[in-house]
Amino acid sequence: MNALTPADLEAIARTPVVDPPEWVRVQLDTGGIAAGAELVYGALAAARTERQLSFALLRAGSVGYSFADPVIEVQDAGMPRVLYGRMNAAVASHLIDEHLLAHRLLDDHIIATRQRGTSLDTAVTHVLVRDTSGEGSRTESLQSAFNAELKRQDLGDRVQVVRALDVGIYEQGAVVQLLPGAVTYANIQEADIALIVRESIAGGRVLENLRWQTPDRQKRIVLRHCGEVDPDSLDDYLRRAAGYQALRRALFEFTPEQVIAEMKTAALRGRGGAGFPTALKWQLTRAQPAPQRYVICNGDEGDPGAFMDRSVLESDPHVVLEGMLIAAYAMGASRGYFYIRAEYPKAVERIERAIGQARERGLLGDNILGRGFAFDAKVRLGAGAFVCGEETALIASIEGRRGSPTPRPPYPSVRGLWGMPTAINNVETLASVPPILRHGGAWFAGHGTPTSRGTKVFAVTGKVRNAQLVEVPMGTTLRQIITDVCGGVADGRELKAVQTGGPSGGVIPVQHLDTPVSYETLQELGSIMGSGGMLVMDKTDSMVDVAKFYLRFCVDESCGKCAPCRIGGYQLLQILERISRGRGSASDVAQIRRICLAMQRASLCGLGQTAPNPVLSTLRYFNDEYKAFIEGGPAYVRKISRTAAPAAKSADEARRVPAAGETASGLLAAKS
Amino acid sequence: MKSAASVPEAEQSTRPVELARHDEAALLELLETLVQRHGYVPREFSDEVSRLVAVKLERLRRIQAKLDSTIRRDVQQHVARWRNEEGNLIMILHAIQNQHGYVPREVAMELSRELGVKLARIYEVITFYHYFKLQPPGAHNVTVCNGTACYLKGSTDLLNALRTELGVAEGQTTADRQIHLDTVRCIGCCGMAPAVVIDGKTLGHVKVADVSGHLVALKQSNQEARP
Repeated sequence: MNALTPADLEAIARTPVVDPPEWVRVQLDTGGIAAGAELVYGALAAARTERQLSFALLRAGSVGYSFADPVIEVQDAGMPRVLYGRMNAAVASHLIDEHLLAHRLLDDHIIATRQRGTSLDTAVTHVLVRDTSGEGSRTESLQSAFNAELKRQDLGDRVQVVRALDVGIYEQGAVVQLLPGAVTYANIQEADIALIVRESIAGGRVLENLRWQTPDRQKRIVLRHCGEVDPDSLDDYLRRAAGYQALRRALFEFTPEQVIAEMKTAALRGRGGAGFPTALKWQLTRAQPAPQRYVICNGDEGDPGAFMDRSVLESDPHVVLEGMLIAAYAMGASRGYFYIRAEYPKAVERIERAIGQARERGLLGDNILGRGFAFDAKVRLGAGAFVCGEETALIASIEGRRGSPTPRPPYPSVRGLWGMPTAINNVETLASVPPILRHGGAWFAGHGTPTSRGTKVFAVTGKVRNAQLVEVPMGTTLRQIITDVCGGVADGRELKAVQTGGPSGGVIPVQHLDTPVSYETLQELGSIMGSGGMLVMDKTDSMVDVAKFYLRFCVDESCGKCAPCRIGGYQLLQILERISRGRGSASDVAQIRRICLAMQRASLCGLGQTAPNPVLSTLRYFNDEYKAFIEGGPAYVRKISRTAAPAAKSADEARRVPAAGETASGLLAAKS
Repeated sequence: MKSAASVPEAEQSTRPVELARHDEAALLELLETLVQRHGYVPREFSDEVSRLVAVKLERLRRIQAKLDSTIRRDVQQHVARWRNEEGNLIMILHAIQNQHGYVPREVAMELSRELGVKLARIYEVITFYHYFKLQPPGAHNVTVCNGTACYLKGSTDLLNALRTELGVAEGQTTADRQIHLDTVRCIGCCGMAPAVVIDGKTLGHVKVADVSGHLVALKQSNQEARP
């Protein structure tokens, strides 16, 4: 294939995207595939052939709604575009009959759009309903109430009422969304139904007093094309996502120094967790005289419970590559490496394909876009060592050695890979670069707080109702993320704490949940931003247990090079084990603190320095729990293990009722 | 086989067994019959015994040579793919593990010769990374995700149930080499916690009560595959 020229890119930028009128897009990322997205894709393809339909069957990465995997998006002429979650093969073929042939939306699978409208200029065709209190048991009666009212006002055949799976609003009573305008009403009473039908559906007037005013907390910059572009297609990225336009702008309108200046304006800080200013890192690497410089993309996402980087690499690989190209141009690097966990085969496959496509079209090579800029990128696999997320250990691993860290300085920006200046950027950092170059640093800096600009992607998991990827501007509070975006704690339990930053982070108790998220505020609370794992815990979770879990992780992962980490971690774990067996003594807490201090001060790398964080922060906020174990002794341990077991069981049962696949297939079976 | 050639009292007897089959079973049968009849191996049979041993050894040698050349060819292929890359050792080990499911000792030794790197250097790397295995995997792999989300949602109970059912700890394979139990740090499917991966297929929202059902299904698929 011919190499792309800047003129080609300009032409693509001017051509509007033309989609076929009817399409179904299946979100095929690891999470989706694990939940059966490929079976859904197969069922859709089979049904299309069988019924001789002509809709386009598209592939994409994940939009981030992990709780509803597998997710598909459907566009049918004359119908609102909708996301369907919790699909399976049977529902998929049923969906073709209902949605694409009978032009009716399917009950119980729709995830309502978060882009809520303010006007009803186009006539309402569909009403999404959902009872958002608890598990939504009154949704069906809400649906029949609307249906009855529509029939009474002679609108029954014009408007369809559909039960939604999720509307993005929680604990706000009955919620309806009027499609296609997406005007959303919350806290609807029985009496409001007639009013809504008369005024809004028949009359086209928005009822401001009912309208849900709270704006969507999310702002998608890094994830903006995830779930939209086909990760396996360069053309799709070029057309749909204005791909490589930022690179063109950087190469033709900016000098490398200006690119760094633009990054400085954006004030982007490293998204891997430490928050080092990206512009400064690039500048330091550039300033170092050397025959060769390297840029490395750190995709060794080792935190258990975090999957932001995997999702971005799988859903929009070209944006990361484009970010790397711009970084390389800015610092004068000619070689790049993607260091990705071997446990993420899909991410590796897609980034390798992206590199191949870019090479084919002259976006990697000796003379990129005819501008005389030479760069090539390669993939290196991690092999399951958490410590390799640390810069110097990562470099050792790329060099084919054991991933043991080395003391800094010299920093990698001075002497890194094979002794050459090297900049190591996180996946999310690189994915933020193209939008900054396209829209300007000032635009990016317009989001977030004075010290932490832009947005941050979090993977919210644990005891949360809707585990998903969330991208919010810095400064959004933890409570907003957990309750407004993700629906709070599952099973109606009480929120206890949030853990951020993985094994290097700490827990944040419920009284501090109104803290705006930024690098500094989280640090003040004894945690860290980390790469973005956010683990929600409810009242049944023992904090001593959580601390032990993370500590055991760090002990397992310690490379053993330096004594504070190797020995300190082990001893700390022994003490915690003893305490949780009810054999702790009064002096243990002081001993824990001493060991933690030694580890923080004397460890060689970040792993050992931050390993005590989960222990220290649980001690800080949940000292009582440690005390209860120490003072209560074995009797206390027996008591809680007795009470914990039935609680876990009943939770299991509660979860059984609304379990995803079951209700879906159950309803379907009842229908057919 | 020195003991077999030990000098016996000469005793006339007919050939105890048919020696048409040149295999191990024949050799064992011969030895057993002789020992039963005489209590030792008479001299006149020791030639026959050593001939059978030679046949067996020759065959083993041929298999070994074939194996060696296969290993050498495979390793050369892997090395050729990465020859010009700096720091290629880990990528070659990945290729080897993808091929065999683990890193066999013979292959590591061949790799050491091929790359001119000391075997200790190679093992230093293999043993550092969790991903590289030194033992052959079982016919089926059951992996419990032990990421934080799965842990909070009860992966420990799942693991304990699997341990009890299979009678092995994580990182071990059942005695019949059928099922290998392991844990993984995080597979990034936290939305489906707790997750278990069985032969590459991820199962979400797994409950302790489901565990034995999944294992029974695995064993059944085994039996279907065997005949």
